[in-house]
Amino acid sequence: MSVSVLLVDDDEEFLAILAERLTIRGMDVTRAASGEATLDLVGATRFQVIVLDLQMPGMDGLAVLERLIALNPTQQIILLTGHATVTKGMRAMKLGAADLLEKPVDIRELAEKINAAASVGQRGPAGARAGQFLGPPQQTRRPGLLQNLRDLFACGE
Amino acid sequence: MSSYHGKVDSLGLSFFGSMTASISHELKNALAIINENAGLLGDLVVLSEKGRPLDPERMKTISENIRRRVQSADDIVRRLNRFAHSANQPVVSAGIRDIFACMVALSERLATMKGVSLALAPFDEIEVQTLPFVIENLLWICLKNIFLLAGAEQRVVLGACREAGDIVVTLHCTPEIPVEQLASTVAAEGQPLIFFLRMQIQADPDGSSLRLRMPIKFIE
Repeated sequence: MSVSVLLVDDDEEFLAILAERLTIRGMDVTRAASGEATLDLVGATRFQVIVLDLQMPGMDGLAVLERLIALNPTQQIILLTGHATVTKGMRAMKLGAADLLEKPVDIRELAEKINAAASVGQRGPAGARAGQFLGPPQQTRRPGLLQNLRDLFACGE
Repeated sequence: MSSYHGKVDSLGLSFFGSMTASISHELKNALAIINENAGLLGDLVVLSEKGRPLDPERMKTISENIRRRVQSADDIVRRLNRFAHSANQPVVSAGIRDIFACMVALSERLATMKGVSLALAPFDEIEVQTLPFVIENLLWICLKNIFLLAGAEQRVVLGACREAGDIVVTLHCTPEIPVEQLASTVAAEGQPLIFFLRMQIQADPDGSSLRLRMPIKFIE
């Protein structure tokens, strides 16, 4: 069964092309061009993974992330950003992002991250609860994010 | 005096950092779309090798998208180059409209993020003898504070006129922007630049515009 992905970015051209490329890779992709549209969509449909642009006009990515996690604490969310800052990256991690990738993104890496996040999500709330017994939640649920933050900020902000 | 120049330099460095960070973000976005278009071309070729026919019109469209985004990235680099040179210019003769256009282009992405639209009023070009970078810096302090004070869907129109031997720059704001508060914030934050440019800053009595008045020729 194909992974259901909600792709969120305010640049409609970027959104359309990336959606097509992920669809070619067998994913079931829905698009949203704003934070507000994202919240409307998740109210009606469940997505295994949400790929979210960090910087958008109006409600920005972190605000959307916070709302999405409040609605569904086990929602798998991958953040995409032009430039990550240490502050935003750390806040994203604390809020519960599964991973963070910088644009331009390698499609193979993104597809791998989406598939990995979808399999974590398939374990569901029970899996997430079981993980809490193994250590701090951010270390068991988001190893990819921690590594990417280390890579992105190796030279400072 | 050296401490005062230090404050002007420090504000300038902070301004330069904000602008170049924003420009690098714009470039990243342009590169991201070029990357996706190029990647899509590759994907379509791989699919054609598996038997799906290539659509020449689609290929033309993608190729045109790449060309357009490369042009857009080139415009961003030109803007960066012009801005970088303004930082090392001495006192020069410059058109105030050109300075506004540069600032609007540099700030547009940040304005859009905050839901503010920027425009230039129709007015004839006015030549000023000045340090363009210092004016750009002060305009940025004005715009940055407008972004902080304004809600979404606000509009700012930049204009200028001559008054005796001075030039008066106006930032006409939509009614929701508290211009009195803006004037006092800019006066405090931009004080070294305002002193450097021998500028007076005030809110219009009707509260619709911020007025920046300075000599048309820079006084050393």
